[in-house]
Order: sequence, then structure tokens, then C-alpha cells
Amino acid sequence: MVRTERFTPYLFLLPALALLLVWRYVPLVTGLRESFYTNALSFTGTKEYVGLDNFRRLFDDPVFWKSVRVTFLFNAIVTPLQTVLALLLALLVNQKLRGMSAFRTILLLPVAISINVTALAWGLALDTNYGLVNGILEALGLGRQPFLRSADQALWTMVGIVSWIGVPFWTLFYLAGLQSISPEIREAARIDGANRFQIFRQITVPLLQRVTLFVVVSDTVINFTLFIPPYLLTRGGPQESTNLMMYEAWQRGFTYSDLGSSSAMALLLLVVMMAVVGLEFLLFRPRH
Amino acid sequence: MAVRAEEPAQAGSGSRADPVGHRRGAASMTHAAGITGLYTILGFLTVLVLAPLWWIGANSFTTRETVWANVLPFSWRALLPQEFSLAGYRGIFEDGFGRAMSNTAALGFVTVVLTIAVCAPAGFAFARFAFRGKNVLWVLVLASLMVPYEATVIPAYTLIDRLGWLNSWQALIVPAIANGTAMFLFRQFFSEIPQDLLDAGRVDGASWMRILGGIVLPLSKPVLVTCSILVFLGQWNSFFWPMLVAPAEEYRVVQVAVSVLGVSQELRYWDRLFAASTLAAVVPLVLVLPLQRFYVGSIVGSGVKG
Repeated sequence: MVRTERFTPYLFLLPALALLLVWRYVPLVTGLRESFYTNALSFTGTKEYVGLDNFRRLFDDPVFWKSVRVTFLFNAIVTPLQTVLALLLALLVNQKLRGMSAFRTILLLPVAISINVTALAWGLALDTNYGLVNGILEALGLGRQPFLRSADQALWTMVGIVSWIGVPFWTLFYLAGLQSISPEIREAARIDGANRFQIFRQITVPLLQRVTLFVVVSDTVINFTLFIPPYLLTRGGPQESTNLMMYEAWQRGFTYSDLGSSSAMALLLLVVMMAVVGLEFLLFRPRH
Repeated sequence: MAVRAEEPAQAGSGSRADPVGHRRGAASMTHAAGITGLYTILGFLTVLVLAPLWWIGANSFTTRETVWANVLPFSWRALLPQEFSLAGYRGIFEDGFGRAMSNTAALGFVTVVLTIAVCAPAGFAFARFAFRGKNVLWVLVLASLMVPYEATVIPAYTLIDRLGWLNSWQALIVPAIANGTAMFLFRQFFSEIPQDLLDAGRVDGASWMRILGGIVLPLSKPVLVTCSILVFLGQWNSFFWPMLVAPAEEYRVVQVAVSVLGVSQELRYWDRLFAASTLAAVVPLVLVLPLQRFYVGSIVGSGVKG
């Protein structure tokens, strides 16, 4: 009896942890190893140890640095934007107002749509020459915009497209958080003479700190490795203005068959992402 | 906007929130303005969400020659099918889209079953047993959520290649089974099941596997539904991984089929692209719509609450 007790948890864990190890952690280690080797196409060919050469090649490549800048710019905008908008949307759909449950259902719909259907649909709607959005802009007398075909607008357009799914998705979590705050706490603050903004700033936001941490970190993890929008919409262009690091890493591996520098780039991306996530844990950890 | 969004909370409590009687008239005017403002914002957001979905749907029922009619210069008729036609749907089904849909549905179903079979026991062990190494192993599970699979996609591809699994069902299923989020949700839910129920099972001499299958899981419908939706949607909406490891037509999944239409528009079969996108979007919408409340509810229970 005691014997089975001792081994039961391990038996229960074995399949899950074995699969986790093989499919999540082993690739991490082989990826690390791969970034110190080179060859034409290592899927089949022979490997040659090159030390830090892959990294050196990356650091000497302006395309790499441009990609780093684009990735940082994209993330510096997309995560704060989605987090703030998600909180506001959650506050909005949490109001007791006639018809709100219908609005809530509708506004959270994009959560179910895949990123590539979203990208394709918005990509067509925003097309410079026949897109619906430009049709409407022109009808309003605002003039057509190039959107994804302009080096100045493409990244911003992409921020908008991914936020169409991202904002409602994170709203789900803020909504859950809001619904777990008891109304008595706000009521007590109101009786103590706090105005609405003070309640929001000093009660609602601090009580949602754990949700905020979760949202900020998860959003960072997702967006640092964003791949599909540049792949489907812009191929990294125009003028590499949407050449996010994950797309560049994929291109190096699968288009140029340069697995070494591709792995090195994926590794750097992961390290940078981890550093940002660590910083976010320090900044947003709950203080109560 | 933050301030405005808070308004009806106060307005809802009516006169109680307005102790200064002579200001009541002004307050109710701001109240009315606030409500109008809220409905304006809600209306704008509703259009922002529904317009692209409506547009895809409407364009899937028109002929490919008329898809772009009335867009530039813009007329409201652009939002309706110009010439009703099912050619888009006919075209994609002749081209194997039905197979992609049944492929993906079967793939989703099998992955759901295997994920529950593997992750529920793991969640149960973390929730209900004390054992050596528990914390380290739990950190391993949580850390896997921090490592997006995209970042390791190239070595994972190499691994699939070495196993000889390129273009196979197992390449699409096996790497998806160990799901950190599912383990997390199961652990949270199982830790709230009363100990008495488990003890009763132990007294009757049932094995832990029987307790899990016979007592715990039947009580766990909310978390089972949430995990099933999560995993099924994950497979239905997955694109990058199947595109890499199973590009053969035989294993084509919905999102890959849509994107193939999307990126190869030389033939200008717009109607087909819209028809495929509509079908790719409808299935998850139908799944999520009735279960949305459920979904939010189990996130509340999952410990990300404030």
C-alpha cells in the first residue's frame, strides 16, 4: 500500500512530463547546440563545429540588426497597447447596461478566429488598390492609404491587425479578474469619499495586478515570436519594415538553408524575450 | 475613457450616490451623456468586430468577378453579395477542402482525448500528492508556457525529420499532447475537490486511477469543457506547425488550405478564398459562442483572478 502511494504520483506524471521533455525541452537544447554548428542543410548533411561563428555572422549583418529594431519597436507598442485596451474593454463590457451581454458576446468573438484568417481578411480589406477600408476612407474624403505597402505604415498596420484578436483575448482575463473583485470594496471606498478615478487607480488596478502580470508576460511571449502576419502579409517588407525576428529566423533556416544562423537567431530571440519577461516580473509583481 | 467606463457603476446606484440634492439635475444629465457615450463606443467596437466577419461571409456568396465591385468608389452594396453564387464553396470542395475540414476535426478530437488522458493525471498528481521533486517539476511545466513553440520550431522540425514523421498524423498530434495550460487548469480544479470524496474511494479499495476516472472526472465538467475547447481550437487554428511538418495534400488542415488559397491568388479565385475563410471561422465561432460564459467562468476559477 505504502509502496504504491509512493510511486503513484510519478506514474501519473510520467507520460505528461516525458512528452514535455521530448517536445519542449529537447528542441531547446538541440537548438542551442545547432547554433554552434554549420552546414548547408543539416537536416541531412554533415555538421561542422564553428564556435561562435554563426553569432558573429549575425552581428555583422545589417539585416539582423534591422530585424532586432523592428521586433523591439513592434513589442514596445503592441504589449502596452493591448494590455491597456484590454483593461478598458473589460471595464466597458463589465458595466450593467441594457443589452450588455449581447455586446460582450460580440466584442469577444475575435478570440475564436485564427490569426491567419484574421491576417488574410484584414490584408484584403486594407489593400491599397481595392480594399474595403480605402473605399470607405475615400468615401469619407480622407484619401487612400498604402497601409501594408508602405514602409512607414506596415508595422503599425500589423499592430492593429494582431490587436483585433489580441485585445478581446486579454479582455477575457481582465473580465475574469474584475468579476472576482467584490463590489463591497469599491462601495466602501466610495463611502470614504473616493471619486471614480481614485477607485480605479487605487483599488481596481492594484487588485488586478496579478492579471496584469499574466497578460503582459503572455502577450510578450506571443508577440516576440510572432510569425504568421509577416509570413502571410508582407514577407517582412516593404524595405524590411515588418521583418520580425521570428520570420527572419525562419527565412534563414527554410529559405536560405542556413540552419546555423537560423538557430543562433532563434536562441538570441529567446534570450532577449526571457530578459524582457524577467523585467516585467520585477515591474508588475503584485505588491500586496 | 477609463473614467467614463466607470460612470454607470455610480449611476447604477442612483440617488444614493448623489448625497447633494440640488446637484441631482446636473448629475442625471451627465449620466445620460455618459450612457450615450458608452453606447457610441460599443456601437463603434461592434462594427469593428463584425464588419470584417460580415464582409468575408458576404463575399463568399458572390461570383469572383463581382467580389470587388462597389468597393472603390465605395457603396454600401459592397457589403452584400453582388450576384448570389455558390461557386466559391463548390470550388473549394472540389479541391479537397472537405477533406481538410474532416482531417482537422478528427485531428482535434484525437488530440483532445489524448491531452485529457495525459494531462488530467498529471494535474491530479500535482494537486493531490506530496512527493519529492514536486516543485521542480511544476516549475518545468510552468516554464514550458514561457517558451513559445515557435522559438524551438526548427530543432523540433529536425526531430520530426529524424523520427521519419514528416507528413504523418503523429507529427501533428504527439507534440501537442503535453499541454502546460491544460495541466495548470486541471491542477487548479482538482485541488478544490473535497478530500472526503477521495477518501471514500480509498476506503472502498479503489485504485487512484479508478478514483480519478470514476469520481473526480465526472465532477470536472467545467474544466474538461474548457480544456477541450482550448485544445480543439488550438488544432483547428494551427497553421505554422502543420505547414512545416505535414505539407502533403493528404494531411492538409483547414488553416493551411485557407492560406494556400490566400497566397496563391494568381488565378484570382477570390470567391474560394472567402468561402474557405468563412468555413474556417464558422466552426470555432459556433463552438465558442454558446460556451463563452463557461469559458470566462473557468478562467475566474483558474487563479489568474485578482
